[in-house]
Amino acid sequence: MAFDSKRYARRHRVDGVVTGLCLFSALSGLFVLGLILGTLLWNGLAGLGLAVFTEMTPPPGSKGGLLNAIAGSLIMTILGVAVGTPIGILAGTYMAEYGRHSKLTSVVRFINDILLSAPSIVIGLFVYTIMVAPFGGYSALAGAFSLAVIVIPIVVRTTEDMLLLVPNTLREAASALGMPRVKVISSISYRAARSGMITGVLLAIARVSGETAPLLFTALGNQFWSTDLTAPMASLPVVIFKFALSPYADWRQLAWTGALLITFAVLALSISARVIGQKRQS
Amino acid sequence: MDSTAAQSTVASRDARAQALSWLRRSDTIFRLVTHGAALLVLGLLGAVVLSLIGGAMPALRTFGLAFFTVDDWNPVADTFGSIAPIYGTLVTSIIAMLIAVPIGFGIAIFLTELCPPVLRRPVGIAVELLAGIPSIIYGIWGLFVLAPWLQTTVQPALIYVFSGVPILSSLFAGPPFGIGVLTAAIILSIMVLPFITAVSRDVFETVPPMLKESAYGLGCTRWEVVWNIVIPFTRVGVIGGVMLALGRALGETMAVTFVVGNAQRLSVSILQPGTTISATIANEFAEATGGLYQSALIALGLLLFVLTFVVLALARLLLARLDVKAGK
Amino acid sequence: MNDLSVAKSVMNAVPVSLPEKISIRDLKFYYGSNLALKGITLPLYANHVTAFIGPSGCGKSTLLRVLNRMYDLYPGQRAEGQVLLDGANVLDPGLDLNLLRARVGMVFQKPTPFPMTIYENIAFGVRLYESLSKSDMDQRVQSSLERAALWPEVKDKLQANGLSLSGGQQQRLCIARTVAIKPEVILFDEPCSALDPISTAKIEELIEELKTDYTIAIVTHNMQQASRVSDYTAFMYLGELVEFGETTATFTAPRQSRTQDYITGRFG
Repeated sequence: MAFDSKRYARRHRVDGVVTGLCLFSALSGLFVLGLILGTLLWNGLAGLGLAVFTEMTPPPGSKGGLLNAIAGSLIMTILGVAVGTPIGILAGTYMAEYGRHSKLTSVVRFINDILLSAPSIVIGLFVYTIMVAPFGGYSALAGAFSLAVIVIPIVVRTTEDMLLLVPNTLREAASALGMPRVKVISSISYRAARSGMITGVLLAIARVSGETAPLLFTALGNQFWSTDLTAPMASLPVVIFKFALSPYADWRQLAWTGALLITFAVLALSISARVIGQKRQS
Repeated sequence: MDSTAAQSTVASRDARAQALSWLRRSDTIFRLVTHGAALLVLGLLGAVVLSLIGGAMPALRTFGLAFFTVDDWNPVADTFGSIAPIYGTLVTSIIAMLIAVPIGFGIAIFLTELCPPVLRRPVGIAVELLAGIPSIIYGIWGLFVLAPWLQTTVQPALIYVFSGVPILSSLFAGPPFGIGVLTAAIILSIMVLPFITAVSRDVFETVPPMLKESAYGLGCTRWEVVWNIVIPFTRVGVIGGVMLALGRALGETMAVTFVVGNAQRLSVSILQPGTTISATIANEFAEATGGLYQSALIALGLLLFVLTFVVLALARLLLARLDVKAGK
Repeated sequence: MNDLSVAKSVMNAVPVSLPEKISIRDLKFYYGSNLALKGITLPLYANHVTAFIGPSGCGKSTLLRVLNRMYDLYPGQRAEGQVLLDGANVLDPGLDLNLLRARVGMVFQKPTPFPMTIYENIAFGVRLYESLSKSDMDQRVQSSLERAALWPEVKDKLQANGLSLSGGQQQRLCIARTVAIKPEVILFDEPCSALDPISTAKIEELIEELKTDYTIAIVTHNMQQASRVSDYTAFMYLGELVEFGETTATFTAPRQSRTQDYITGRFG
């Protein structure tokens, strides 16, 4: 073997440098992300107390809590998920079961992927033009609907993916017993894909519970306690946005605490989604 | 066979036929319902597009093409030209990708090729969890932690270092505000970093081990295997992943709104406050009273949607080609 | 009875005068805590073909992957004992793996053309070690492809992607790629398991020709293939070397009943 030792030494140098760079980027990436969580914990815990969960959002310069915002977020998230999930599951069912190879399915899949990553502020604008402007007012319903629009593509995607993983032999075996399609789907396919579909719904909840942009001009916000779905309603992300950009120290503290709560909720949801998803695999 | 037995067979046959016909009907109904839901998803996108076009019409009709090319955003005088937010959107996203893509690749390579297996799963999971953290968290951190730090350290240094250099001196012209285009770009890059990392790690892992072993078998170093085998093999998927991340960066609202400075003007210096399409909408829409003002903001939303649509569609097409190649 | 005497007892039909290119001495291999090779002692004679046969999981592929330390890519796998390549221990932790792998080439179970042109598939490996002029490189590419009996089929499409070739051609491309960097030993890990009979015949013919320049080890599941291409055959079972000897002797008059059973298809 002819051997060029200078070339060989250079190759090893390059390899060493690149290895170092990869290590550096991994460390710095993890460092920054760790730093974000660290400051979030530090600043958020400072304001975490019972009052956060029992008092309303305060006027500037006074103490208060986030109760109405938390309640508003819960109400709108639940409503949005309740509307979006069945539609998403049904559409995903069509794509994976009835129309697996149809033209419609491939078009819907493409469109759904676009909706999945469409800027959420555009969803907000859309809901504003169809629900807020015509009916003359911001409302919790409009907020919930905009969240539903975000939920649908996530659920469609996971439902289709999970149903496609169900082996066809299972469906054939069920059909061979004389089961009609609806029975096969509801008692075989859904059952086999259940944990994956639950994972999808949990991920969707995680996603919308932190959404701010679409709520800014649909649910708007509300300084006070309100459960009226036709009136503006407070939500945690919007309160954080408003309070963080304010000059008042109390408000900023509440913003940090709210941010911590959302992060906890989102992480808890993603982790449980992961755990459920993994149980399926084993 | 006696008659009662025959009768009961007939009866059970009737019952069965009845049950079957009911099942068949419910089958049809269920199929139609799912079909309807699939069409609804299609309709949703159509509705988004139509409503945005409808809302944008007044502004587009009034200002024509100038809406996208003129730097004049004046709600008081009711004249709107949106080159400043368009420019800001593109610049922040491009800078963000310039920062995030190499680092994201670095982490992905670290995870697939270098990382001790004990750490591989926890680090991978951490990256995926971070990809799910809402953007408002990154925004608040950027505003209260990153921006003040940049203002006192990095930005003065940049201004000082480039002060004599042509072009660069105007790109990094002072004073240091903390918030601004560069800060928004950095926050965006941190936001899309977990995403780029997760996607590229996933595609790197599709490289057959035997292919990598063949290259190692020739005596390749790790970097040579990555550069000559892994990246060419996954090229299409990597580009698709980067485009997906770009689509996110373009449409990202909250993280940017916190730190971009929200100044409706075009400035060469990336240290100065600027704005983006999404930040403009988020900041101004709820207070936009005039019909034309609102329409101008919706027109911006339409533009943003078209922009991200094109980027995302390209990304999906690339990734779909990858699936075909992999025989999925 | 210690390991070496076992080795002696299974190797008595081998003439001792041949030079050993690789000497494996009491090699133990672990996957984690799982002992996969239980003390193998075996020579690979220079310019001869040695075949490893045995049922799945007997450790024959593992043994092959020790010879170029491919197992090093995977944590938790380790080898004990000695593997001497021209007298120097390959298992030495300070050894330069890249150089070792340049000396001990490997061809895999499935064709693995790199995602680049046919020309580049070969030039790539050469460029790792040598800086050749364009014409020298062209010459090297051509001679390697000729060596692998692929030149006539690809000489007009060197710029085509390596993946555009048929399976058999791809495997010969991989052989050409291995030959191009002028190794001393070539390891074949079931090189024909993904190929049709005609391609298989071509590869076998090639192995026969290559042994004039190289020392060759081949793992195969195919008994006929082992008898056709190899000069020496090692039969392995459950991580142990059961029998080693000249191929003709091993196939016609196996000394161990387990070898006999395996060769005649009674188990495996």
